[in-house]
Amino acid sequence: MSLLEIKGLHVQYTTRRSVIRAVNGIDLKIDAGKTVGLVGETGAGKTTTALSIMRLISTPPGKIAAGEILFEGKDLLKATDHDMRLLRSSEISMIFQDPMTALNPIMRIGQQIAEVIYEHGGCSKKEAMERSKEMLEMVGIPAARGSEYPHQFSGGMKQRVIIAMALACNPKLLIADEPTTALDVTIQAQVLEMMSDLKTKFDTSMLLITHDLGIVAEICDEVVIMYAGEIVENGTLEHIFRNARHPYTKGLFASLPSLTKDVDRLTPIPGLMPDPANLPSGCKFHTRCPHATEECANIQPGLMSVEPGHNVRCLRVEKGEL
Amino acid sequence: MAELLRVENLKKYFKNPAGMLHAVDGVSFTINEGDTLGVVGESGCGKSTLGRLVIKLIEPTSGQIIFKGEDITHVTNKQKKELRKKMQIIFQDPFSSLNPRMCVFDLIADPLKTYHMLGRKERQKKVFELMDMVGLARRFAYSYPHELDGGRRQRIGIARALSLGPEFIVCDEPVSALDVSIQAQILNVLQDLQQEKHLTYIFVTHDLSVVKHISTDVLVMYAGVMVEKAKTKEMFAMPLHPYTKALLSAIPVPDIDYKRQRVKLKGEITSPIEPKDECRFVNRCLYATEACRKKAPGYEEVLPDHFVACHRVREINNLQAEELSAPEVSG
Repeated sequence: MSLLEIKGLHVQYTTRRSVIRAVNGIDLKIDAGKTVGLVGETGAGKTTTALSIMRLISTPPGKIAAGEILFEGKDLLKATDHDMRLLRSSEISMIFQDPMTALNPIMRIGQQIAEVIYEHGGCSKKEAMERSKEMLEMVGIPAARGSEYPHQFSGGMKQRVIIAMALACNPKLLIADEPTTALDVTIQAQVLEMMSDLKTKFDTSMLLITHDLGIVAEICDEVVIMYAGEIVENGTLEHIFRNARHPYTKGLFASLPSLTKDVDRLTPIPGLMPDPANLPSGCKFHTRCPHATEECANIQPGLMSVEPGHNVRCLRVEKGEL
Repeated sequence: MAELLRVENLKKYFKNPAGMLHAVDGVSFTINEGDTLGVVGESGCGKSTLGRLVIKLIEPTSGQIIFKGEDITHVTNKQKKELRKKMQIIFQDPFSSLNPRMCVFDLIADPLKTYHMLGRKERQKKVFELMDMVGLARRFAYSYPHELDGGRRQRIGIARALSLGPEFIVCDEPVSALDVSIQAQILNVLQDLQQEKHLTYIFVTHDLSVVKHISTDVLVMYAGVMVEKAKTKEMFAMPLHPYTKALLSAIPVPDIDYKRQRVKLKGEITSPIEPKDECRFVNRCLYATEACRKKAPGYEEVLPDHFVACHRVREINNLQAEELSAPEVSG
């Protein structure tokens, strides 16, 4: 049994003028101890998927319209608010993108970490404080600095504090939403290395949301590529990096300036991400796809297996034409 | 090729409650016509300040800026206005650098109006030409910035910068706020325009793969000082400064066959407020010795056209003091 299994998830946001279909039927599995990378551009529905797992979609305007999210076999969408509260951070925890705004500015760093432990750990406040010091040391911050406030910390240190908080109760699943996007590369390298060390140490599974294929190559086991609220391709790291089949995935790779090869001119994906309030018919990518035929505009392709563990959502791949 | 811009020992200090902040501290370089100088470094290293100094958006504390053989370090506002016809800037954030109450047409026509260039009819023609040039469909002429996505907004910024026909453009992180597929579109536009109009760029960014793609020369900054400058190919094949080595090795590469030794850096960037006379990288450097704490390293040409500021550069790279030819590049 997978640790987390998402089946047919649909999430929509209703505004006065329209219904925005942010996530349209996602199936996703995370096995124990594995790191899955969720890749896509702005508006692909990555963060909405993560927030759905945490049941943090604000309703209204958001609504989980259909689907199941099974965590250790139990449907999180049917869980009570009280159960979810207990589950968050002790079983599943989340690291948000922006370390600058995720911390309480008027609470000491040590206390913020201790609060999480106290709420979930069934220990005394004093023990929680002790444990919070250990956590700080573990992410490479001297315990004495726990008495400082967030504004006294740099961006990289704040993000480490957030990682310490997320891991404080040894969760089974860690959802990291662009954990290093706001950081400089040398600091990013430190944080990524620390995250993968801690992950091995505690045997945590991880869902890593990112737009950076470089980070995926470095720490993920499996990759899921999202486009306009759908999964267009998924597979192991090898499948995606050696044998990408979907035109969108290929387009993403061709758009990247390379450090290792000399490329005179980049090949960008033409056009723009479709408006989620007004998605195109048929294949969502057909408006930008160099291989699109008339059929692609009418028929919605399904996710089809091209080799064991490697699935692609494309009519022309399905027909063996690509 | 002819030299377009020369900067000598340029400094910019800002007053700060904690003391003087040395944002740019003694930077010197030259750019030839038609080249692109990539300026890289982490946040707070002074790369944007350098870009702004060079096109005279802010006044330098000391140093010299020579543009087309003329000293433009201290110029009157009138001269500055004339200079802007020749040197322009594209800003990082296409969301906050455009007036939200002006439509695309007015935004692009604005510089032309300010400089009383062209009559009304010709101006209109010129605006549409510029829109074609940057790949902005004419149907957006009367849209407002909030109706457009980041990529299109950045195209407006580029069209504005081009409208006066400049020779030199500072691009301050022009693609950092964009998704990769859109980023590639904008980079291509910038490259095409450079060839077509024989433009010279300073390209400020933190993204090294973008720099490698677009630049002819690279300048690496750290805490207000320049640590290394070389031709792009040489810099990426053979970085000499310990910081450049670490920076290059820290970039995640989207290639699962790419193996390398990562140079780990401890700690974080040193504060450029009232810095001591020592190497600014000393607290994070793997090779630091006592000598590095005694004096800030000078800037020297270690290999032809390859400048490094490091006391121990020859030792750690096994270079002979008199060696002038480049050694074999490995890996």
